[in-house]
Amino acid sequence: MNKNLTLALSGNPNCGKTTIFNNLTGARQKVGNWPGVTVEKKEGKLKHNDYDLTIVDLPGTYSLTPFSIEEITARDFVINERPDIVVNIIDASSLERSLFLAIQILELGRPVIFVLNMADVAEAKGIQINGEKLSQLLGLPVVFTIGNKNKGTDHLVETAIDEIKRFDKGKESRPIKYSNKIETCISKVEAKLVESGVNMEGLPRWNAIKILEDDKVIKEKLQAMSASSAERVFQAARECRKRIQDLFEDDFEIVLTDDRYGVIAGIVKETVINLARKRIDMSRNIDLVLTDRVFGIPVFIFFIWAMFQLTFSLGAYPMGWIENAVSMLSMNLEKILPPSLLKDLMINGVMAGIGSVIVFLPNILILFFCIALFEDTGYMARAAFLMDRVMHTAGLHGKSFIPMLMGFGCNVPAIMAARTLESNKDRVLTILMTPFMSCSARLPVYIVLAGSFFADKAGTVIFGLYFMGIFIAIMSGRFLRRVLFKGEEAPFIMELPPYRMPMFKSLMIHMWDRSKMFLKKMGGVILVGSIIIWGLSNFPKQVSYSEDYDEKIHSVKSEYARKITSATTSQEIEAFNLQLAVILTEINHRQDQERIALSYIGRMGKVLEPFFAPIGIGWQASVALVSGFVAKEVVVSTMGVLYGVGNEGGEALEKALKKSGMTAISALSMMVFVLLYVPCFATVMTIYREASVGWAAFNLIYTTMVAWGMSFLVYRTGIMLGAG
Amino acid sequence: MIDTHEHEKKQFKRLFQQQGIDRFDSRLLVLEAFLKLEHHVTISDLVTQLEEDKVHLEKEFVLSSMELLFRFGFATRVEFEEKETQYEHRHLGLHHDHMVCTKCGMILEFRDEAIEKQQLKVAEAYGFHMLQHKMEIYGICSKCLEDRSPLVPLHRAKKGEKLIVKELEAGKNMQLRISSMGLKIGDPIEIVSSGFGGQVVIATGENRMVLGKGMAEKIMVQLFDPAIEKNRDTDKEAKDLHQEILLLSQMKSGQEGIVRKVSGEGVLRRRLLEMGINRGAAIYVEKYAPLKDPIEIVVKGYHMSLRVEEASNIIVENVGFKNRKNE
Repeated sequence: MNKNLTLALSGNPNCGKTTIFNNLTGARQKVGNWPGVTVEKKEGKLKHNDYDLTIVDLPGTYSLTPFSIEEITARDFVINERPDIVVNIIDASSLERSLFLAIQILELGRPVIFVLNMADVAEAKGIQINGEKLSQLLGLPVVFTIGNKNKGTDHLVETAIDEIKRFDKGKESRPIKYSNKIETCISKVEAKLVESGVNMEGLPRWNAIKILEDDKVIKEKLQAMSASSAERVFQAARECRKRIQDLFEDDFEIVLTDDRYGVIAGIVKETVINLARKRIDMSRNIDLVLTDRVFGIPVFIFFIWAMFQLTFSLGAYPMGWIENAVSMLSMNLEKILPPSLLKDLMINGVMAGIGSVIVFLPNILILFFCIALFEDTGYMARAAFLMDRVMHTAGLHGKSFIPMLMGFGCNVPAIMAARTLESNKDRVLTILMTPFMSCSARLPVYIVLAGSFFADKAGTVIFGLYFMGIFIAIMSGRFLRRVLFKGEEAPFIMELPPYRMPMFKSLMIHMWDRSKMFLKKMGGVILVGSIIIWGLSNFPKQVSYSEDYDEKIHSVKSEYARKITSATTSQEIEAFNLQLAVILTEINHRQDQERIALSYIGRMGKVLEPFFAPIGIGWQASVALVSGFVAKEVVVSTMGVLYGVGNEGGEALEKALKKSGMTAISALSMMVFVLLYVPCFATVMTIYREASVGWAAFNLIYTTMVAWGMSFLVYRTGIMLGAG
Repeated sequence: MIDTHEHEKKQFKRLFQQQGIDRFDSRLLVLEAFLKLEHHVTISDLVTQLEEDKVHLEKEFVLSSMELLFRFGFATRVEFEEKETQYEHRHLGLHHDHMVCTKCGMILEFRDEAIEKQQLKVAEAYGFHMLQHKMEIYGICSKCLEDRSPLVPLHRAKKGEKLIVKELEAGKNMQLRISSMGLKIGDPIEIVSSGFGGQVVIATGENRMVLGKGMAEKIMVQLFDPAIEKNRDTDKEAKDLHQEILLLSQMKSGQEGIVRKVSGEGVLRRRLLEMGINRGAAIYVEKYAPLKDPIEIVVKGYHMSLRVEEASNIIVENVGFKNRKNE
């Protein structure tokens, strides 16, 4: 027998699968996505006696119908990858529902063992399960575990290995028998399938059932393998479906579902003993407060507020340390390295790039810790329950609330938080909406512009901008739901799992997995991107300035040197020194201004000037907006440089802005643009990673269009009202 | 009626004055209160009525007055099984029979000439001279039938009734004991005797069984009557069209019902079925979210939520409130 075995873990969401997975694999696990889909894939290794076991955590589902990616992924893995055994984990306190998936897993024809998890909780609820009887009825081993106390894990592994051995010696899984009418159909189609000689993956019986259920995926597969025999099989299936339809006045798959529950009811009746004990449902009591009509929402808002504070306020400290460490490192490099292009690349490209990646790490760690806490305790489902009504108006799912809200802090972790959404459509839509939430990096831009042009009303203006972001997100959601995500909305049918005490280890693993993914996946792209942007803003090196600044500096310096030497009093010397400094700074600013304007990024801004003109944004601001793609804060510093005040910002910038002819209404237009236009580079990369290149590109175009449109509206309306 | 009542009062005055009975005026008040109340009256009912008329009399006095009224033929004393003694008007020359609902205790008066004549005929045939008779029909009144609670605990059933076992409201152990005795849901039974300290002797097929009160209380039975059974089916269908059937989205929190049908299209319907909302499943509405959407329900022992819109695809029957506090 092979010593390298694969164990696949299957089960409903919330059945304690992850806990058992953690118990089995400890720290030796890796997280990724299943090929081609963004469903999290967890894999871990385990050595047991002289066996090397690979544990694969299949996505948690309630069924194996091909309606969601998770279900198809789980099913395909079992059929195509043929794990040596499937370990199906069952929450003992809801045996009936769990068996619905379990018997479908059983039907796939691979060796299966059932694990009754949390039997202690079930007994507290008054349910006792006769494992032996269950094992007898289904013809497979049944083991008991208590995941959070790590009980029964070894037994599970041993039983699994024993069962694999039994299958090696010729054991076959016992099929579930349905009612006569269904069975007749299955055997007819199965016979046709065997007769056709097409060798499909999986048991013929299973394929027959799927064809009868009108399963598109399997039907296409058969069609592709042999069109002629497919037609014959489909013919038989159609006849059977029609018969069932006539008899039961319902589709085959519905009748089969009913029948499955019939079989399950039989199993439950034989194996479950209901202890007639008064039981206290703790979860229910907790929910009396947490989802209460009156207290539910205030409590939720408090939790979210706390999460936001932790993530962005507490996270600000380690962020500061990281920034300091990075700048210290840069400074040291500055000293050590001889001046060269490479040095510039190292410091302003690579170091800045790495800095911009790891600076998010504290946020991401804390946010994912909070999310893991919400998910592991069961509160996440309640949050969705409370917020669904609100989110539904934007065509989103209740669970979208948390990512959207996190967007006010930083879009990068927010988009990653959208992972908690099961439906791909919901997830992509949430990802596309999140950038409209005004992140904290946009605030400095508002402060400068609103502060300069709206003075005492600045607060109101900024508040209005935030509100506008939310409004645009809702409208976009509705619009995109209608245009791009047409068709049936994923149903909001969601289990409200019982509250559980979260396990520290599991929280840590959860948090670390996702953060690691951020560092690995995002790190690379963002680094490369930062280098590219550094290149764009620093090249071409050899610009032909309109005047020779070096020469000018030289002449000014020598002029003042002369003046200083000819000076008589020390006061005079000081005055000259001061004048010299002012003149030099001014020249430097002018040089910087011209350099940026002539750099590739500056030229891009200039090229885009006609594009920005109708919304009242001049060329300097255009360049600043383009450079804002690096990070939104950069808009302010670039404006500083371009308006010839260097990095001083503040009042100097305010004066320069006013002098440049920017008006209140064009400032407002610019703020609206900053709010809505292309999110920062890191965000776009996150969208690319979490959704696809297509969606990232769509986001670029869509946000720009919306931003331009809204700014145009604001600017033109303003002009018309005479505010220009 | 008013005329006969006035007539009764005149007679009362004459008789009571003749007999020199004390506290005449107070007793007249009792009579007046009694005549005001139609149907069957207990002493406590009378006291309440008098209180309403702002008359305060002790229970003992009312009782003795009623006994006098009974003696002089103004009232009839009726004693139904398991009930407080009741009095009803006795209008000379008028007679009626009673139907007693074993479920709600309602008493119905009726008079059927055919029965009256038949009784005389039967008595005559046996060479029996009938002085008076008493006829009481025990059963379930139309209102209780309508309320769809034809189930009574076995210990309330009357001797000779033919019944069907419908539910065992017992814990696991008791259920085991009952089924080990050979009694199961759907069995027809007949009451051989009952009432001896709550013990019930029943017959199922050819077996006799003695059930203690504790056990009999837990066995819910239904009257076995082919005619009623049939009527109820047609009734049910008629009623289904009106009120009994609700959409899940119309249910209030705290209500429970049985899934009758899951409609809707494609993914949604499939998903609902897969999550355990199939025909025959019991659904309990736990609560609505603070913003009135979605709904939290309990099905197959677990909590789930779905939108109101989605819930409107689920048709539920037998809706009723159920107390699940700490269950």
